[in-house]
Amino acid sequence: MTKAELGRIAGGAPRAVENALAELAAAYEGTGLRLQRSGEEWQIVTAPQHAPQVAAYLGADRLRLSAASLETLSVVAYRQPVTRAEVEAIRGVNCDQTIYTLTSRRLIEERGRKESPGRPILYGTTWEFLECFGLQSLDDLPRALSPEGALVLEGAESTPSKLG
Amino acid sequence: MPQLPADEVSAFLALASRLVLLKARSLLPSLEPLPEEQGESEEELRARLLEYAIVRERAGQLGARLRAGERAFHREGGTVDLPPRGGEVDALASAWSRVLALATRERDEDIVAPGERYSVEQRTLEIEALVAAQERVSFATLLGDAPTVGFAVVTFIALLDLYRRGVIDLAQDELFADIVITRRDARSAQT
Repeated sequence: MTKAELGRIAGGAPRAVENALAELAAAYEGTGLRLQRSGEEWQIVTAPQHAPQVAAYLGADRLRLSAASLETLSVVAYRQPVTRAEVEAIRGVNCDQTIYTLTSRRLIEERGRKESPGRPILYGTTWEFLECFGLQSLDDLPRALSPEGALVLEGAESTPSKLG
Repeated sequence: MPQLPADEVSAFLALASRLVLLKARSLLPSLEPLPEEQGESEEELRARLLEYAIVRERAGQLGARLRAGERAFHREGGTVDLPPRGGEVDALASAWSRVLALATRERDEDIVAPGERYSVEQRTLEIEALVAAQERVSFATLLGDAPTVGFAVVTFIALLDLYRRGVIDLAQDELFADIVITRRDARSAQT
């Protein structure tokens, strides 16, 4: 649900809803549940540390991705919204198949079109992505650790412009 | 021999030949650029390779998270569309407000009269006698004006027991509406 929906139903101002969500998130700490955020939307999910038990109960299979799919996914996750051509420019190879695979597994989705020649499709990550990687939000994405990476980050990359 | 992906092999060869050319230039600076060398400069290539190194590192971290298996699950059945089936958001909000009002009263009553106890068996007999006399009674009537949590729970369990035994029927016209309890006739209760 979005914060706006929560505020309308509960009759609270946006600030009150934010405080209530923060209280709820704190209350869930150490329990089997947690709050998950994607942009302005929130949902309640199971805590990742209990994934083996929940997966066994649901009979869920473990997600497996190739190295190429993981590379493409990491580009989309950190630079979203991003076009296929932009992903290919970074990876240096054609990404048609990996984009298709990630889309069909609902890890990424279309996010409109870029206002540039040809109006290419923009891609971003989904709720499924946050769930599969046990992330509460895109703010929890692992950060680059290498010194070389830090140099590139300063000049060529920004944080995701739109969460979720 | 397994099939090699042509696109990836060609991209690899293009990048490798570019690196070899850059290395040759560093060893033989007198080499003049060829007219067809319109590709990315050494600096651009270096920046791209560094960025790709970051992508690989992040992909490795994501892969590690995936292998750890510490994922989350949302509630099965997907997201509930609003308004919920059989009612509207306002009805849900109104019902929740009534619950909150009752919850406040319960706390006060617990302070004033702690230790109040109800017996399911006794309550079952009371309701059975009531429906025998009136044939039809509402759940709100059974609860009275200011029920405590304990009284409401015992009353509800008693109703479930009577329904299980076929003594009564339960009906609710719409979502969040009052529950109407009616007595089954003796013949249908036996079947």
